[in-house]
Amino acid sequence: MFISDIRKEFYEVVANQRVALLVSSDIDALCACKILQALFHCDQVQYTLVPVTGWQDLGTAFLEHKEQFRYFVLINCGANVDLLEMLQPDDDSIFFICDTHRPVDVVNVYNDTQIKLLIKQDDDLGKTLLRREILFDYEQYEYHGTSAAMMFFELAWVLTKDTKDMLWWAIIGLTDQWVHDKITHMKYVTDIATMQRHVSRHNHRNEDEENSLSIDCMRISFEYDLRLTLYQHWTLYESICNSCYTSCSFKLWTLNGQKKLQEFLADMGLPLKQVRQKFNSMDMTIKENLRDVIEEASNKYGMKDIRIQTFGVHFGFKNRFLASDMVHATAALLESTEKDESDSDNFIKALDSLSRSNLDRLHSGIELAKKKLIAIQQTVASCICTNLILSQGPFLYCYLMEGTPDVKLFSKPMALTLLCKYLLKAFVHSTRNKRCKLLPLIMAAPKDVEKGTVIVVGITPESETSDKKNFFGRAFEKASESTSSRTLHDNFDTSIIELKTEDRSKFLDALITLLS
Amino acid sequence: CNEAKSEGRAELIPSIKLRHCCLLRNQRCVTAYLYDRLLRIRALRWEYGSVLPPNIRFHMCAEELQWFGQYKKSLASFMRSLGGEEGLDITQDMKPPKSLYIEVRCLKDHGEFEIDDGTVILLKKNSQHFLPRWKCEQLIRQGVLEHVVS
Repeated sequence: MFISDIRKEFYEVVANQRVALLVSSDIDALCACKILQALFHCDQVQYTLVPVTGWQDLGTAFLEHKEQFRYFVLINCGANVDLLEMLQPDDDSIFFICDTHRPVDVVNVYNDTQIKLLIKQDDDLGKTLLRREILFDYEQYEYHGTSAAMMFFELAWVLTKDTKDMLWWAIIGLTDQWVHDKITHMKYVTDIATMQRHVSRHNHRNEDEENSLSIDCMRISFEYDLRLTLYQHWTLYESICNSCYTSCSFKLWTLNGQKKLQEFLADMGLPLKQVRQKFNSMDMTIKENLRDVIEEASNKYGMKDIRIQTFGVHFGFKNRFLASDMVHATAALLESTEKDESDSDNFIKALDSLSRSNLDRLHSGIELAKKKLIAIQQTVASCICTNLILSQGPFLYCYLMEGTPDVKLFSKPMALTLLCKYLLKAFVHSTRNKRCKLLPLIMAAPKDVEKGTVIVVGITPESETSDKKNFFGRAFEKASESTSSRTLHDNFDTSIIELKTEDRSKFLDALITLLS
Repeated sequence: CNEAKSEGRAELIPSIKLRHCCLLRNQRCVTAYLYDRLLRIRALRWEYGSVLPPNIRFHMCAEELQWFGQYKKSLASFMRSLGGEEGLDITQDMKPPKSLYIEVRCLKDHGEFEIDDGTVILLKKNSQHFLPRWKCEQLIRQGVLEHVVS
């Protein structure tokens, strides 16, 4: 059932109990977790936090903890399946689910005793749920609702225990949904407006001249900033070359594109020497009006929305971060393949990087994120130039072979999804085939060389007005069934699966038939 | 030495005295070593609690174990004599605590851990827990849990 009063029906219920937190491995979930942890610390609610990466992990974690805990809080997992059927809990286990995955399984909606959904009811669900024809449609597509971090921030606000740190985490959670293309632009803008109200409320004190805050205090500000990933922690040039938006608009994998970039920079009067310097070392005169200068020049080159509404934080003289910087850094840490560390090790590191006291961790995340972005751009360039993207009829398909540089990075779901998104955008910009521009893309990359599996990801077609509703979850399931392919649907996002390499061709063929 | 004098072998006296000094010196060294061991064993009670891990007991001789047992008893009766009826466990909170509850992270798989009031916690590597400070102290000292400071 849906909870209507999150304070009475959730917080006050668990306040004197011990709670098990089962948290999914995505940035929004990590942020939501930090907010909830902060609230629990405030009210001394004892809890145990267990990271989970998929359905198997969730099942194991539940089995291990079911004797010791009655109350379970699931973050970004559990809403879109019949949870009680899956976990077979005792009658007194209670599950509080805060999950952005939609559609919510009907059984979860109608269970009054054990399943409590911490989800906004008007989140695109409500009325459509009851009409049968639309119900069929509703269940075919997977999409995402309001950020979990924002939900818990709202809880904090209702309890009047919200702090700037929690607000910042909520903003990062929302930005994660935007960076990883989980919500529509409309929803993003609407949610930004909601966050902006909270930011104004928190900044009220800053305006008082007499009692202004010290420079070390945390300040969150609304920014209408450039869509250049990590540019303030990089060189402007590198950022332009490795940001999806600019790279695709210029078509930087072509010689012509490179030339256009040089023209663009010359147009703005930015000397190459400046632009190749670390951003912080650029001349102040250039940095001052940079955003406006770039916006004006971008308009001429067909980039109408080089600026995006977002938020930034700063504390102390040196520490300035944009919300998207945080998302990229934390995601890079969460899916790090640098050393042979387990998923839960990475989870802990990523969780730590969200605390302001762990700046070293955050900076190492930023460095990893830069490497990841460079790897993505290089892979995109090589895929486009070698025509690795094939049209299979109802969808586009690209397979990254073993031995491709950086292929290890792409064995991870978020990294592969990001690559997929950038690749599709680049493809749409480079192809002349009008029909191909409207197709969705499926990508496969080696996941586990020993086990002989690949990870397969499907994303929706590139479109300005895309509703981000992804049908691949169902499609993958059906294709797997019909060909008896050995697949593992372990990820909480149904559009990401693991498949035995040998079964690749028959699986694909089935998909083509299914979707034609 | 006296025997040497009485038997008229006076020239042996310096060697005897020398050897005697050496023996005494060795005795002092050994005593100092044993005393230092005792001090360390005493510190073990404060670090590990009243049950010593087997790998440490392995390195102690029977007399030392006996001494440890007696020290334990001594400390226990002293603690019982403080703070009214229940006594006061002064081996807790060695540093002034900042909060009643702390966040701890599990560094290695430790299995199930039962706390005094019966609650059982599964300590799996990389799980995090928010618990009353006094429940965690011993495990922190043993290196199973790490205090997470936000």
